[in-house]
Amino acid sequence: MNVDEVKQNAGPREFNPRDDLPEEYRKAATRMLEFHANSEIMGAYLERPFIRKAPSLERKMAFSAKVQDEIGHGQMLYRAAEALGVKTRDEMLDDLANGDGKFLNCFHYPMDSYVETPMIAFFVDGAAMRRQATLKKSSWEPYAHAMDKICFEEGMHVKHGESILRELMNGSRREQEMVQDAFETWWPRILQFFGPTDDDSTHHDFMSEVGLKTCSNDQLRNSFLNGYMQKAEEYGLEIPEYPRIREQGDGQYEVVEDDLDWEEFVTVSQNEYEGSIEQIGGRKQAREAASWVRDMFDEQTAAGAAPSPTAAD
Amino acid sequence: MSAVDTDLGAPGELSERERRAVEAQLFRVADDEFIQAERYTFWQVRAPTLESDLAISNNAQDELGHARLWYDAIKQFGYSEESLIWEGNPDDFQHSTFVELSFEEGDWADAVLRAYLYDEAEDIRLAALAESSYEPIRDRTSRIQGEEEYHLEHAVSWLERLVNNENGREQLQAALDRLYPYALTMFEPVGDVEADIVDLGIRDRTLEQMRTEWESRVTEQLTELGLDIPDTGPASPTGRDNEHTEEWHDLFEEMTSSYRNLGRDSATKIMTDNE
Repeated sequence: MNVDEVKQNAGPREFNPRDDLPEEYRKAATRMLEFHANSEIMGAYLERPFIRKAPSLERKMAFSAKVQDEIGHGQMLYRAAEALGVKTRDEMLDDLANGDGKFLNCFHYPMDSYVETPMIAFFVDGAAMRRQATLKKSSWEPYAHAMDKICFEEGMHVKHGESILRELMNGSRREQEMVQDAFETWWPRILQFFGPTDDDSTHHDFMSEVGLKTCSNDQLRNSFLNGYMQKAEEYGLEIPEYPRIREQGDGQYEVVEDDLDWEEFVTVSQNEYEGSIEQIGGRKQAREAASWVRDMFDEQTAAGAAPSPTAAD
Repeated sequence: MSAVDTDLGAPGELSERERRAVEAQLFRVADDEFIQAERYTFWQVRAPTLESDLAISNNAQDELGHARLWYDAIKQFGYSEESLIWEGNPDDFQHSTFVELSFEEGDWADAVLRAYLYDEAEDIRLAALAESSYEPIRDRTSRIQGEEEYHLEHAVSWLERLVNNENGREQLQAALDRLYPYALTMFEPVGDVEADIVDLGIRDRTLEQMRTEWESRVTEQLTELGLDIPDTGPASPTGRDNEHTEEWHDLFEEMTSSYRNLGRDSATKIMTDNE
């Protein structure tokens, strides 16, 4: 298939590894999947300290299970990416460790306090759900297929985040104030989750035409704001005055572009923000420390002496 | 001997001596499972591969689930999760110091070996509790045994992989030399309650019998893999007598930090009781 044929045939779950797909498509789908898979890993890395710090045995179990789910999502998504034949999983994981891999803006900000956890587990995961639901219609069938399972589990994660938020906002006044503070810090980052409001991202047109994107960032942001502004208020959070969000009278929202820090956003997207350096560096150190085990596997595979690869998984 | 013939009865029916012995048995198994799990979670998003990350997360959650079951049995004596864990003192815990030792980033040989040494001990302990005279222990043991068997197989399969490699074998031997004396603390007694635990049929084997079996199993398995068992006695402190290492104090501090910082007075339950 050439690019024009891909555009003509593009539709939900239309293409699979047996199809002869042009490089443009395979590269674009790889970039998107790699970003998504990296985000699962870095999201898990961001939340992992709260497995230890969760304030009850059952919360601890839920955090451990959630972090495990995210690693499982990363595994599925890297597999769907590898099937495009552009990059191997190890190359993607090495790039991520070396600071060359890209991932979601919100996962570049380390969390200090437990009260921040629902900012990720409720708001960011809720925002991600909006995007992920549309990816069940991706033209790359392995991606759409992975999203069936991922969306189900993400639904559970958002409930976990909502339960933590509800509990904190029904807690002591001090807890409520701590959450409000965290919300004010995180809210602009969450609004930036969907990218610049004018949605002129360079790859968007091509991505839509070949069926890799099925919804614009503006549509997704709107859908998120429609649901989550109300939920935030229901739980007693006050939406900060800035960045200004204007309701257009028809259920459409406009976020005032100039009220957001786009310089920081760019720094984040280039992995150069101080939080990026901390998160990527921490993950890199962990990956390098355990590299001897992967090297050992490689040697054993090369020598043909490896026990069955799943035996010790 | 049928377990029912010697059944100690419900929590409220125990004599003071019986209750003291039942509690001693429950505390050590609950705390062991909890802290072993807590240390396993260190490897989440840090394990060598995504697959091993998922597997060790499974182990952690299984052990947390077991800890929850054991703590529920302890709660039948009027304790609460708050008093048992979050508002307690680190020296209230009776886990063996073996499970509280911290991991070094990248030291996967330690993770594999620690899991193996623990899972062998757990297998032996559960077998000794399966016919317990105390029904809440019998009941839980049968629910837990299946999962622990899988853990043991998994640990052995990792050991086999690591010893195939020069570097892997060396790291395993270093971990064994370091961990073995601590592993022995799992079988250390704490006074006259030990005799009661066996005399009252709460557990049908003495600590010494269990240690002997553990040493024989571990020696056979690890020697076959080309590792040398260190000639040593148990480390000190043992943990069983509420004396712990500094590493436990640091872990406890971090683990309970959110509970304290939030000014909490209760630990949230999110699952329904008895699943």
